Amino acid sequence: MGKTLLKTESLSKSFSSGGAMQHVLKNIDLELYEGDFTVIMGASGAGKSTLLYALSGMDTPTLGTITFGDRVISDLNADELAVFRRRHCGFVFQQIYLIDGMSVMDNVLAAGLLVNKDRRALVKRAGELFDAVDIPPETQRKFPAQISGGEAQRAGIVRGLINAPEILFADEPTGALNSRTGLHVLDTLTEFNRQGQSVVMVTHDMRSARRGNRILYLKDGVILGECDLGNYVHGDAGRHEKLSAFLTEMGW
Amino acid sequence: MIRTYLLARSNLRRAKGQTISIAVLILLAAAMLNIWLMLSMDYKQNFDRCHDRLHAEHVTLVMSGDPGEVRPFLRRALEEDTLVTDYYMGDSLCMVGSFAYNGGEANTELVFLEKEEALSRSVGRVEIVEDSNTGSGVYLPMLYKTGDIDIGKTIELKIGSNTMEFTVCGFFNSVMAGSHNCVLCEFLLTQDQYRELEDKGYALESTLLSVRIADRSASEDYEAVLKRKVSAQFPDARVSSNSYVLVTTSRYISQMICSGIVSAMAFFILLIVLVVIASNIVNYIQENMKNLGALKAVGYTSRQLIGSLLLQFTGISLLVAALGAGLSYLLFPFLNDMMISQTGIPYEVRFLLLPCLLTLFALGAAVSLVVWISSRRIKRIDPILALRQGIRTHNFQKNHVPLEKTGAPLQLALALKNTLSGVRQNVTVCVTMLVLSLVVVFSGLMIENMIVDINPFLYMVVGEMADSCVNVNAGIEEEFLREMEADADVEKIYLYHLMNVSHSDGAELMASLCDDFTKVNNQGVCIEGRFPIYDNETAIAVKYAREKGLKIGDEITLTVGEREADYLITGYTQLTNNLGKDCLFTREGYEKLGDLQNLSFYINLGDSVDLESFHERVKERYPGDINTTIDIRSIISGTASVYVTLLTIIVCAILLLSVVVIAFVLYLLVRTMLNRKKRDYGVLKALGYTTGQLILQTALSFMPAMILSTAVGLMLSGLLINPLMALFLSGIGIVKCTFMVPMGFIAAAGAGLVALAFGIACLLSLRIKKIAPCALLTAE
Repeated sequence: MGKTLLKTESLSKSFSSGGAMQHVLKNIDLELYEGDFTVIMGASGAGKSTLLYALSGMDTPTLGTITFGDRVISDLNADELAVFRRRHCGFVFQQIYLIDGMSVMDNVLAAGLLVNKDRRALVKRAGELFDAVDIPPETQRKFPAQISGGEAQRAGIVRGLINAPEILFADEPTGALNSRTGLHVLDTLTEFNRQGQSVVMVTHDMRSARRGNRILYLKDGVILGECDLGNYVHGDAGRHEKLSAFLTEMGW
Repeated sequence: MIRTYLLARSNLRRAKGQTISIAVLILLAAAMLNIWLMLSMDYKQNFDRCHDRLHAEHVTLVMSGDPGEVRPFLRRALEEDTLVTDYYMGDSLCMVGSFAYNGGEANTELVFLEKEEALSRSVGRVEIVEDSNTGSGVYLPMLYKTGDIDIGKTIELKIGSNTMEFTVCGFFNSVMAGSHNCVLCEFLLTQDQYRELEDKGYALESTLLSVRIADRSASEDYEAVLKRKVSAQFPDARVSSNSYVLVTTSRYISQMICSGIVSAMAFFILLIVLVVIASNIVNYIQENMKNLGALKAVGYTSRQLIGSLLLQFTGISLLVAALGAGLSYLLFPFLNDMMISQTGIPYEVRFLLLPCLLTLFALGAAVSLVVWISSRRIKRIDPILALRQGIRTHNFQKNHVPLEKTGAPLQLALALKNTLSGVRQNVTVCVTMLVLSLVVVFSGLMIENMIVDINPFLYMVVGEMADSCVNVNAGIEEEFLREMEADADVEKIYLYHLMNVSHSDGAELMASLCDDFTKVNNQGVCIEGRFPIYDNETAIAVKYAREKGLKIGDEITLTVGEREADYLITGYTQLTNNLGKDCLFTREGYEKLGDLQNLSFYINLGDSVDLESFHERVKERYPGDINTTIDIRSIISGTASVYVTLLTIIVCAILLLSVVVIAFVLYLLVRTMLNRKKRDYGVLKALGYTTGQLILQTALSFMPAMILSTAVGLMLSGLLINPLMALFLSGIGIVKCTFMVPMGFIAAAGAGLVALAFGIACLLSLRIKKIAPCALLTAE
């Protein structure tokens, strides 16, 4: 187990809906560790994405604290959170969200240049990441609408990693992809995790969840249980059975 | 129809902010348009209504001399002329005079009439508007009712070289002689005061003739003919006259100025409205491609979809244009108050149906046409393709600002990307800023050449200016000149005398004669060619020359009475005090046509010289031989202050209007951009961009088009403003303007305009703060 990267204490999140408060997250105490591939699972409406966005500083909790290293991020204002996100977090979204008006390379650099002013070094790093996700230079110059969904999501991963974040947050990264391209994306994430990148991924797909070494199961806003799968090994049949058993136990 | 209405209503509900902004711009355009139409179609016509009510004349002529000799001749001349339909002649006392007015002096040919006689004239009568019914005093034209001149107060009139005081008893309307702009200005005296003035002999016993003719457009020609006859018969008589054409033009200069500016503003705002609407519709179609495809898929026709947009925009335009027309009735009284100080003809603001209908029609038609043209692309939407893909909103041909290569700072580079991807946004910004640049340059020109220092304007319209004008009898000329040249107070003295001559083929021209034109202060009067040097030369008004096809080098025949002479045209002049009908002679040149009974000398005095004391000294030195002394600067200041006030208000109004226009146009553009890029802003926030950075990017994205169009607009406007001003002032005889274009002010104002736009764009972009990155959770 690596050192603690993120820690929540009594994390709660509520939304007002039709005059009534809806408590989506309830008193969650959680620690995320360096080098882990943490997967958050649960049924629809369990609060998975809400938890992810709260952990990543994209949203603020209603109650409780979130600590990143020694720093409490739950008290930061919107601009301070923006600076926190750009320096420490990377994001991969289900809908990819590349900006249509920018080329693939520009989408990556628009995130990178916020942190790293050395344009040349940044372009070099982007090139390496693109190589790693198998996106050739001619595709890098294309616009998002001109590339496939799989290429776009891998470009999204490059964008998420360009600033070498401590944690990469992935929200259903294969949700909008077909199974073959989804698999490619999962391989990419797995490979980066293997190289030491901490990943927190939300999914309701067992095949995706199998890539994590730590599975958290969320139900009705509370973490119902967790499962340690160990590091991912391709073709490990026992891993699948262990995850199935855990999920069955959780009522999946 | 119901379907179309429901669609239009749904569109309106979804874009309340944009609708309100467009509505405000239409409101302003409609108000301006209606004011312009009211000014053009009714305001000047008010003169004719007043003219008809008072059965006023088309030619007024006042001449000194024994009525027993003068009137039979006049009667004979009028009754022989088939053009004359009616006339009236009566007693008057006439002399050049002046009085304190509007912080300066008004100087004109004063025509004193006995009040009861004036009220009973069958042609050219006056109407009393305010009357104190006190026994003894003077009644003044309504124009002079100011704070300083009012009933019960005393007015001091300089009549020739004498002064008399009168109590103001009331005010009256006189159409043809109710202002110092009409050449002649009537003052009514109670019987006792009239007799007193007659007894004192300060003014000449004269006949005031009012003539109505069959064709009022021929009034100028008839005036020239009549004056020629009179001068031929009575060469020594003092004769002054005016015509319907001259008075309608000179009394409505402020109307012409206001009308020109308001029409230009109406046109500019309408142009901006149309560009904004076109851009809005194209955006709407792109943003709602899927919805439009879905509507087509469920059976809506292109015609219905276009119809809903037509209904939406034309409906709003007509509704708001009606409100704008209403707004114009709230604004018009202020404009009327400003203009009445120059026209002197009371105007009662009343509802005018035709201008309203024309305003509604013009706006409705223009908006409908633009909506129809912009929305025709709906016909090309294929429902299946639209549902599958929506629309590609970006041009994928080229990445103009690749981040890996650009050296620009990140925020600027991203702003530039936004700029280059928003063609319609740039077109709207460019049109707006080009128009507003012209407004800024116009305002700068007005401020520099009229408001701060009115001399450039005066030199152009008034012509020659000096400190003093002294009119002396011809007999003392040599002695007077010798003494004045030796006087330590006098810096320069030269003959500058105004007379009238007739062109054998045309109108009466005002002739300025000078002993040496190199001495005149305003060397800019001659705008082409040169001043006359020899006695067979003349320079004539360029407007008149163009009307008559006269070129430099041509010969013209001029007459005074029975005498005529040929002159070579050496140059073109540009003066407006006779509305572009004037000419210049050397003294010897004029003396071929007539003799000078008296002479006017223009005098420049030392800075510390008190003009009043100087005039008193001159009068004492030459008792009985000084006919008039005029404080030229004070007279010009009195007249000019009306225009300065008018223009100051107009400049403030159009600058304020410009700020409003730019704010609303930017509101529409920023709002559209935020709507279109809401998801992108959310993504960028998620990636770590702060609200401030995104606001900066948004505001900066408008700057390239704004700076470029402002710079181009200012340069073009700077080059075109003088020709445009000449066009604008062509009605008063100006064909070439040489106003100084204040480049410093314009550059500063341009920078200010861009800074203002940047500030407004930043403020409007504050809505970005509300865009939360976590909204991406529910965005799709």
